[in-house]
Amino acid sequence: MSLVPVRLGPAETTLIAQLHAVGAVAEAERLAAIGLPTRRVEAYHYTDLKQLMRAVPELADDPLAAADVTVSPPALSVAGAFQLVIANGRVQKHGTAPGGVIVGASKGGVLTTRDDIVTRLNGAFATDALTLELEGSVGPVIQIDRRVEGRAGHSASAARIFVADGGSVTILEVYSGSDEAHLSNHSTFLQVGKGAKVTHITVNLMSAKATHFATSEYVLGEDANLRTLIINAGAAVSRTQAFPRFAGPGAHADVTGLNLVADGQHADITMDTLHAVPHTSSKPLFKSIARGRSKAVVQGRLVVARDAQKTDAKLMSQGLMLSDEAEILCKPELEIYADDVVCGHGSTCGQLDDDHLFYLMSRGIPKSEAETMLVRAFLAELIDPIEDEPLNEALTDVIEGWLAKA
Amino acid sequence: MTTPMLEIRDLHVRIEEREILKGVNLVVPKGEVHAIMGRNGSGKSTLSYVLAGKEDYEVTSGEVLLDGQNILDMDPSERAVAGLFLAFQYPIEIPGVATMTFLKAALNATRKAKGEGEISTPDFMRAVKEAGSQLNIDSDMLKRALNVGFSGGEKKRAEILQMALLKPKMAVLDETDSGLDIDALQVVSKGVNALRDGTRSMLVITHYQRLLNHIVPDVVHVFSDGKVVESGPKELALELEAKGYAGFDGEKAA
Repeated sequence: MSLVPVRLGPAETTLIAQLHAVGAVAEAERLAAIGLPTRRVEAYHYTDLKQLMRAVPELADDPLAAADVTVSPPALSVAGAFQLVIANGRVQKHGTAPGGVIVGASKGGVLTTRDDIVTRLNGAFATDALTLELEGSVGPVIQIDRRVEGRAGHSASAARIFVADGGSVTILEVYSGSDEAHLSNHSTFLQVGKGAKVTHITVNLMSAKATHFATSEYVLGEDANLRTLIINAGAAVSRTQAFPRFAGPGAHADVTGLNLVADGQHADITMDTLHAVPHTSSKPLFKSIARGRSKAVVQGRLVVARDAQKTDAKLMSQGLMLSDEAEILCKPELEIYADDVVCGHGSTCGQLDDDHLFYLMSRGIPKSEAETMLVRAFLAELIDPIEDEPLNEALTDVIEGWLAKA
Repeated sequence: MTTPMLEIRDLHVRIEEREILKGVNLVVPKGEVHAIMGRNGSGKSTLSYVLAGKEDYEVTSGEVLLDGQNILDMDPSERAVAGLFLAFQYPIEIPGVATMTFLKAALNATRKAKGEGEISTPDFMRAVKEAGSQLNIDSDMLKRALNVGFSGGEKKRAEILQMALLKPKMAVLDETDSGLDIDALQVVSKGVNALRDGTRSMLVITHYQRLLNHIVPDVVHVFSDGKVVESGPKELALELEAKGYAGFDGEKAA
């Protein structure tokens, strides 16, 4: 612990008071001692929370207790999906669950032992956790809407999802809310059973004034297959974390993500993958499109344990800059303790290819349409693997909507 | 005298400080096929890119009239919908753009410029299938991303397919024979010849006389050091083949 006391800003002071108010004394003392992470903390190098978080709003109201808070529909809906809602951190009533889906709620936050400030704050402030047990081949998309309602508020929500051995399911999480300067902190713990196949998509459509944190922690059993897609399109400041842990041989994960940032936005996708056992593979692929004066961050870390021989992991990050003032920052990290592995990383960043643009235009396609085609092409690798058609269309709409705002 | 399809008047072009085209004069009347022959580095490909509107080149003086209309102030897409088509020497691979999506977008852009509505999907499929079958282009090829993984011959056939669909007034074929074996050359030439209809004009750029056995030009121009140095009937190509370029421009082979 630091001998020099840190100078606490208004955001930290409010957070400490809120931690005391919810009885998280140890967490409050820890935050008072070390403060929010700055760029000197490697994991937050490009997302300096001390700089970026100027103020923290009051703890959000319980929508059931506050008469003036109503829960609105999410910013994104998918035909045929089974919808579950968590509003201001509270699990809401739901309709009849489809076959193979058991919905419950429990107290407390997410199941994690991770030493990360965002995750710890989530654990301290989340009162309810949505629990989902999924068995067999679940037909409908499971949509979890994390709404943040009412006046500007600080809320935390949690979901614990267990997919049984051999199961298959697509889970969509949408973060949206009222147009206020919320601070929201969401977490998901997702356990993928032996041989199970899971697609987990998170879409950040928060208010342009909001600060948004979302963390997904994954545990992959033997021969499990996971595909994730993080889409960051909302919030002034966002940090989305994915922490996959390979716990059974034969498991594979395609961890993918997309930052869409426009003027004034800062979006960070941080992945930290642990290959803990032999014979697992991962193919993280991240893309960022930045326009205006904005910042997109991708951090990807692959940790391969000493016993995790035959790990096959390739991390790729690609950026597309649509303005001279945009910044795209990529940081890959490989931490490899095994000696018989294939691991690599790559990163590219640039503007649309002039030769591509010229070729399309030489066939009569107007410049703006040609640019849109090329941006779509850039993103196809992320969207094409989403098999559920209404979901694929809904995600395409989110992206097209963002592109159209240019 | 009727308006020529393409008229290039004293065209000077440079890249950075280097002048590449040094006063090109060329007239292609409607319905005629002209060939430009010249050695490597003579500026032939630059001419084709400048006609199509590629940005890297600076036109310092001169005019290019397409059917009487000056096109130098137009962007590449405007030139295309005005009726100009460039068959690329090296067609560009664009991962993520489906060939069919591209073809439809190009066709609809051309139709829109003519004040026509968007083509229906069945009509579009029919048109592509019909044009493709003449060029031995199967549906597997069309399912791939644009030019991605296409062989040299497939890329050239795909260029001619685009030309057949877009029906330009003026087509510039930049070394369409390069990288083709004899069989592929015949297929491509047949495709090009099928588009000779007495009104459409073409400018065929090539190194070798070989292509001109298949696509027989009305006029041959010899290009050297950034300009046309000699023009004549198709027999000029044979003479060129016999004497070499040095016989026309006095320079030694590069």
